[in-house]
Amino acid sequence: MFIYEKKLQFPVKIATPNPKLAAFIISQYGGPDGELGASMRYLSQRYAMPYAEAKGLLTDIGTEELGHLEMVAAIVHQLTRNLTDEQVKADPAFASYFVDHTAGVYPTAASGFPWTAASMQSTGDVIADLTEDMAAEQKARKTYDNILRLSDDPDVNNVIRFLRQREIVHYQRFGECLRMVQEKQDQKNVYLYNPAFDKNRPAKG
Amino acid sequence: MENGSTTRCSDKSGTLPSCAPLATGYVPFQQKTPQRYDQCDALSNGTLFPGLNLPFHLAVPGSKLPAGNRADLQALCFVVAELGLYLDTHPDDAEAFALFKQFAQMAKDAKAAVEKDNGPLMQKNTANFDSYHSWLKDPWPWNYEENEVK
Repeated sequence: MFIYEKKLQFPVKIATPNPKLAAFIISQYGGPDGELGASMRYLSQRYAMPYAEAKGLLTDIGTEELGHLEMVAAIVHQLTRNLTDEQVKADPAFASYFVDHTAGVYPTAASGFPWTAASMQSTGDVIADLTEDMAAEQKARKTYDNILRLSDDPDVNNVIRFLRQREIVHYQRFGECLRMVQEKQDQKNVYLYNPAFDKNRPAKG
Repeated sequence: MENGSTTRCSDKSGTLPSCAPLATGYVPFQQKTPQRYDQCDALSNGTLFPGLNLPFHLAVPGSKLPAGNRADLQALCFVVAELGLYLDTHPDDAEAFALFKQFAQMAKDAKAAVEKDNGPLMQKNTANFDSYHSWLKDPWPWNYEENEVK
């Protein structure tokens, strides 16, 4: 089960509202490489994992991603607080979000495409899932790189830098997990069978 | 689980198998007892490990982290979570597990200090307070502190 703790993983305190920034940072809430997809991906994949270390890692990283989802929401919320009609009108990108969601937080890509499970996978195959997870961390790292290109607010960038660095650490851990998993497979052919589905290990590779 | 040579690589490097099967992906295993930041630098950098700290060229220095017992708690909890992920793939590193226990205790103490000052961090802990309003009271974590709260 999950229990809420009334604190963020990392402080979010943004002095200056800026709806233009919010309109693209929302992508890390509900975009194709965002934190909602990350948490759903890892927390869904863990059920098919046959190895304890992989169950633990997917649970722990998936849970951390839920905390990141909350941090991204906090950024968007603070960037869009106390707006006037004029501020909304002045930014076309935010105005098109505003018309449907006002200053609420909604999981969508910056392009306006709503969050979709089609941007993630849970394949039931150990090597395919962990390889997808490594790619997912790189894609999220790329999005944070691009946010750093677009944002000049130090309060925002402080949080984005933190989130970006977490993607690199998670990539390392998924890579180590893939190594651990491969060592448990047939050493001549790690693709001989899927330990998440084929109940009996084949006699020889 | 760490294979490859027994000689220690630099802290920025890890271990790979010397003869590896084709058509498999390899990330080097982080070595045991990697260098570490203190808890405040760990939170500020987004990792406990200098060897894994790989910033983007446009990552301009951010604003300072706020001071206070809430930020202290965040830093301690961060080290516990970061060591936890390390231990998920290095469960036999006894030194890291001892450190995990030490930081978990420090985080527990810091949590008690924050709850004493600001109210419960978890709903069930509201049982230790005089009024249920202590759980509901503003600011919630996503609020820009009391500036936003009426």
